[in-house]
Amino acid sequence: MMNRKTVIGIATVLVVLAILPLIVTSPYHMHLIIMTCINVMLGLSFSLLYSTGMLSIAAGSFWGIGAYASALFVMKLDLSFWVALPLSALVALLAAVILGTVITRTSGIAFMIQTLVLSMIMPEIFGNLEIFGGWAGLLGIPAPNPLGPITFLRKIPFYYLAIILLLLNILVFQALYFSRVGRAWRAIRLNPNLATMLGINLYRYRLLAFMISSASAGLAGSLYAHYFQSLEPGMFGAFKGINVQIFSILGGLNFYILGPVIGSAIMTFVPELLRVSKEIEPILTGGLLIFLVIFLPGGILSLGEFMSSIPEIFQKKKRTVREGEGEYE
Amino acid sequence: MSEIQPLFEVRNITKHFGGLQAVSDVNFTVMSGEILGLIGPNGAGKSTVFNLISGFYPPSSGNVIFKGEDITGRKAHKITELGISRAFQEVTLFMKLSVSENVLSGFHLYYRQGAWKSFLHTPAAKNEENQAKKEVLEILQFMGLSAVKDQLAQNLPHGHQKILGVCIALATHPTLLLLDEPLTGMHPEETEEMMRVIRQIRERGVTIILVEHNINAVMRLCDRIVVLNQGRKIAEGLPQEIRNHKEVIEAYLGTDDDEEDA
Repeated sequence: MMNRKTVIGIATVLVVLAILPLIVTSPYHMHLIIMTCINVMLGLSFSLLYSTGMLSIAAGSFWGIGAYASALFVMKLDLSFWVALPLSALVALLAAVILGTVITRTSGIAFMIQTLVLSMIMPEIFGNLEIFGGWAGLLGIPAPNPLGPITFLRKIPFYYLAIILLLLNILVFQALYFSRVGRAWRAIRLNPNLATMLGINLYRYRLLAFMISSASAGLAGSLYAHYFQSLEPGMFGAFKGINVQIFSILGGLNFYILGPVIGSAIMTFVPELLRVSKEIEPILTGGLLIFLVIFLPGGILSLGEFMSSIPEIFQKKKRTVREGEGEYE
Repeated sequence: MSEIQPLFEVRNITKHFGGLQAVSDVNFTVMSGEILGLIGPNGAGKSTVFNLISGFYPPSSGNVIFKGEDITGRKAHKITELGISRAFQEVTLFMKLSVSENVLSGFHLYYRQGAWKSFLHTPAAKNEENQAKKEVLEILQFMGLSAVKDQLAQNLPHGHQKILGVCIALATHPTLLLLDEPLTGMHPEETEEMMRVIRQIRERGVTIILVEHNINAVMRLCDRIVVLNQGRKIAEGLPQEIRNHKEVIEAYLGTDDDEEDA
């Protein structure tokens, strides 16, 4: 089914990912790579919802739900991380079912605003309830329990854990996009009226997308909680949601897998390498979003297409100029 | 002893939007295998009747009966599941997909293997998928679009786009097909092609209700015609009966007084 080029391409990427820790020796860069993996998972969850035509700003909220759930499972209930990891994805999924029964009945702007409100409420909930550690957050979240000889004391085991979770996530999403579920989602995004006429239950398929997307964000949250080992409510607000949105837009909205990968990598590395202070970062990302929407709505991955259309644009300009001259004559 | 039951029936169906009475007290039946024409001047309520039948909004009162079952007020996707499909008035396609992908999208209800199997790409699901793709080609062949199957829907000429809309509706395997102005904006050749296609669909055993402005085509195509004016049914009968019906002529050409004025 897959052609040889794709197989070789995938094999190369896997080999590079496997030996990356040998090449990247700085723990700081390793940290950025792990954060990129987590961010890619959030970007993927945003793009999955986009594939049904819904724009969500709540990726950060479900990330937070997963992170807090996982931390509490381990700290209060003494569960192993390996149990808490899938459980926290399940908690995010259940939260999505409860919230989704209300908000996925809407679409378009109405849906987006509800996710925005949700992303503003979540930090308040985390900050004001005692169980979540209040505004100080949760500190001293334990690292994952050792897996046989593998202990999670250094960056490298976390790197492999993050990569494995990310690849699983990509595999599942890719299989979904190529199944009839993915086709129904695409039909809903392209033309909701026609999709209904084809017998697709819009609400059911939107809710399903919301659930899966939230579960993947929750999984990323659990990983993050035990990697970073502290949580504070402010991280899971609307700003994170908008940031995640930029990952996908920067990479290319129509590339559900590669778009978030490229966008997250750039958005994680560039501000860090430029050593921008945290206060200025929102200005940069906001400016970037405006720039993208105006000049590069298809994202970086659409650049190839854009480049090949440049000669055409020039030709059109010339023609209009000539027509303009004609008017004066 | 009982009469043959109609396939589809609309009983005293009424719809008002606020104070506006869009459709009032309309009745008609469709027999299996029939082509029924639904005509009337602009604003007569034809499209509203279609929206009521296909579940885009519920009627204010009255009943819609399909295969002896009351389906009034069911959701649009449920109605499709029952076997009533619709081709829209405006060209409504997945413009950015190819012709065959458009038709394949119509197979959503066709799959019997669970979504899980499709997700895991099991042999049974793959088999079903291939079967669906085969049927897509068959539909395109039958409707005369197989030459353009790999083109993007947005690049097709208007006539082909309209036919593609009907192909998608057919892909849901309907018993009753609603065609909303299938001939609009077509030049004479395209019109002939579409009429040929509609007759072929009927020969396959699909019952058709047709809303259309091209009266000539309706007269040639339909077995029976229902005429609406200002939301009410004013006539029903064979094409030649409708042609000479006084009220129908008045509805289309205005009353005698108007004629004198002109």
